Amino acid sequence: MEFDWSPEDAAFRRALAAFLEQALPPDWDELAKDGPGSAVQAAFARDFCPALAERGLLVPHWPAAYGGRDASPWQHAILGEELWSRGEPRGPQYMNVNWIGPALMRFGSEAQKNAHLPRIARGEVFWCQGFSEPDAGSDLLALRTLAVRDGSDYVVNGSKLWTSYANHADFCFLLARSDPASRRQRGLSVLLVPMDLPGIEVREVPSVVGERYFHEVVFRDVRVPEGARLGAEGEGWEVVGYALQYERVGAPRYARAARTLDRLAERLAAAGAPPSDEVLARIGEARALCEAGRVLSYRVVDRRARGEPPSADTNVARVAGTFAEQWVADLALELGGPEGLEAGSFADAQFRMAMTAGVAVGATEVQLDLIASRFLGLPRE
Amino acid sequence: MDFELGEEQRAIGEAVAALLAKHAGWERAATLAREGACDFALDRALGDAGFLEVATSGETGLLEAALVVEAVAHAAGAVAAGASVLAVPAALGRALPGPVALVDLAHPGPVRFASDAGTLVVLEGDAARTVPLASGAIPRLETPYGYPMGRLPERLARGGDDLGSGAGARLRDAWRAALAAELAGTMRGALEATLGYLKERRQFGRPLASFQAVQHRLAACAVQVEAARWLAFEAAAQGAPAEGAAVAATYAAGAAKRVFAETHQLSGAIGYTREHPLHVFSMRLQALRLELGGAAEHARAAARARWGAGSGTSEEGMRDAAARQAAAR
Repeated sequence: MEFDWSPEDAAFRRALAAFLEQALPPDWDELAKDGPGSAVQAAFARDFCPALAERGLLVPHWPAAYGGRDASPWQHAILGEELWSRGEPRGPQYMNVNWIGPALMRFGSEAQKNAHLPRIARGEVFWCQGFSEPDAGSDLLALRTLAVRDGSDYVVNGSKLWTSYANHADFCFLLARSDPASRRQRGLSVLLVPMDLPGIEVREVPSVVGERYFHEVVFRDVRVPEGARLGAEGEGWEVVGYALQYERVGAPRYARAARTLDRLAERLAAAGAPPSDEVLARIGEARALCEAGRVLSYRVVDRRARGEPPSADTNVARVAGTFAEQWVADLALELGGPEGLEAGSFADAQFRMAMTAGVAVGATEVQLDLIASRFLGLPRE
Repeated sequence: MDFELGEEQRAIGEAVAALLAKHAGWERAATLAREGACDFALDRALGDAGFLEVATSGETGLLEAALVVEAVAHAAGAVAAGASVLAVPAALGRALPGPVALVDLAHPGPVRFASDAGTLVVLEGDAARTVPLASGAIPRLETPYGYPMGRLPERLARGGDDLGSGAGARLRDAWRAALAAELAGTMRGALEATLGYLKERRQFGRPLASFQAVQHRLAACAVQVEAARWLAFEAAAQGAPAEGAAVAATYAAGAAKRVFAETHQLSGAIGYTREHPLHVFSMRLQALRLELGGAAEHARAAARARWGAGSGTSEEGMRDAAARQAAAR
């Protein structure tokens, strides 16, 4: 066991932090207050991601063949911490790096890898995730969007819901039922769907979370060529399972919570009188929750670094990270008082970003189900 | 970063497991607790096997000491391993004649292992003193909370050999790391006792552990036990720095409150009885989570170490931690 950073990883974090120091504008926090899906942030990412790529800071953990430099998964984790905690200047592109790229590498054909990975590695493409549907949320396997074979095409009909970033996306990582007679996890396939195909309509679902946070994506007789299928026909569930293991710890919510807490402590110190014993205890407690999320996420990265298959450690880490983010957001609101109620205030920005933590990427209850069965070995109900 | 046990660590784990199989276990702990006694046989065995030198040997260090402490707690060993295996060697660079009882004058009240201690280590602010104790010097206190305990007599609070400047602060940090490891191991024991029972116990025609309402609560406990364990190991590996040790203790003490409540609620009436292992672990959790001022005091220490809020000692604390980390390596 070794809990210190290697010199290479420590140097990588310093280089990244130094770059961010000069690359993020002084009013970045203001720009980032509406989240990675906002128009402002997506526009920022269009220049920022190529700039990261030029400096070898976008996909360092990818193989050299795909534009990376075979850096350790720890550098992937460092990227996530430094960028997500700052409000994600990569905009929606964090998903490319975290799980879309790895899924393409694992399941993609040569043609698919050549078509997609270089564009992701150059930082010039946006993706969205087409998983949830109106009647398939936590119960994702209830999904009904059909992708029916017609000659060398699939004809897609159905509707995806809650799809963040669909408004900016060039491609959708779509999970659909390719065998209409199938049930549950059989007969699903993943299609890499260009969002400019005829028959795709993106509608915003207005929400209190942030600007253009949720969308519905409707597919009406959309013809997708067979070559856009990722992995074997009917094996889509395996592809998605692999992707989710990366996604669940991809956006390190504990890191954002920890940075928020640091800023909160700074604001308390700047407010004049030293914090009371009670306030000190509360921010110290919150710090401990952030650290719990961190150390458990590191366990997941560690497995990956050793080439072990993903395990329920991912779900354990996810639950702790979610809890930390929500706790810190509540604390920011409570300690800041009614000032936090103004749109775009410090506490408001933290609070609204944190409010989806327990639902995004699989509700906490789904994570707990998976911990119960896979980590504790408890019988299914 | 590497979270896998190394060869040396695996060997230590196996050695301590073999020793604990002989000298510990919940039934033995339950018997000793009724007498309010320390397990002198286990204490001696740990010393004879060299575990008191694990923290300072050079080949191994605080992380290995924390692995031992967590394992002893998980096996319900009735010894002051947190103090004698981790906290004292880490802070003083040497072991003291055991059993060792730690007491901080800022937090008066019953002291774990004081009644059976060979050495008392008294913390007072930044200072600390050792007081050798004759057998029977401090009477045993009656307590249902699973450890031998005693109260510090007024005369012992003042005397003793001064351990030099800063020893109090160093001991307090190392104590917090040790406490976190003890809490983690004890919570793991409580959760396993509960899991074992709920998988067997059938009601409504099926095992209780098959109900989702029960599973979610067990899963939430498991998350906390895992986090407590890894935070404790990390804090130890980094040399028990003020912030890391306080963070680990804060988390573990908070988790202990919730794990106590959940394991007892889910175990039902059998969990309160002496025929079931849960009480051995759960009652100890209460003693552990109150030590050194409890979660709120650990949390304040974490906040002061990180942000210097109100104390002005943060930079000093960081230098101190860096020096300790270097020494730990």
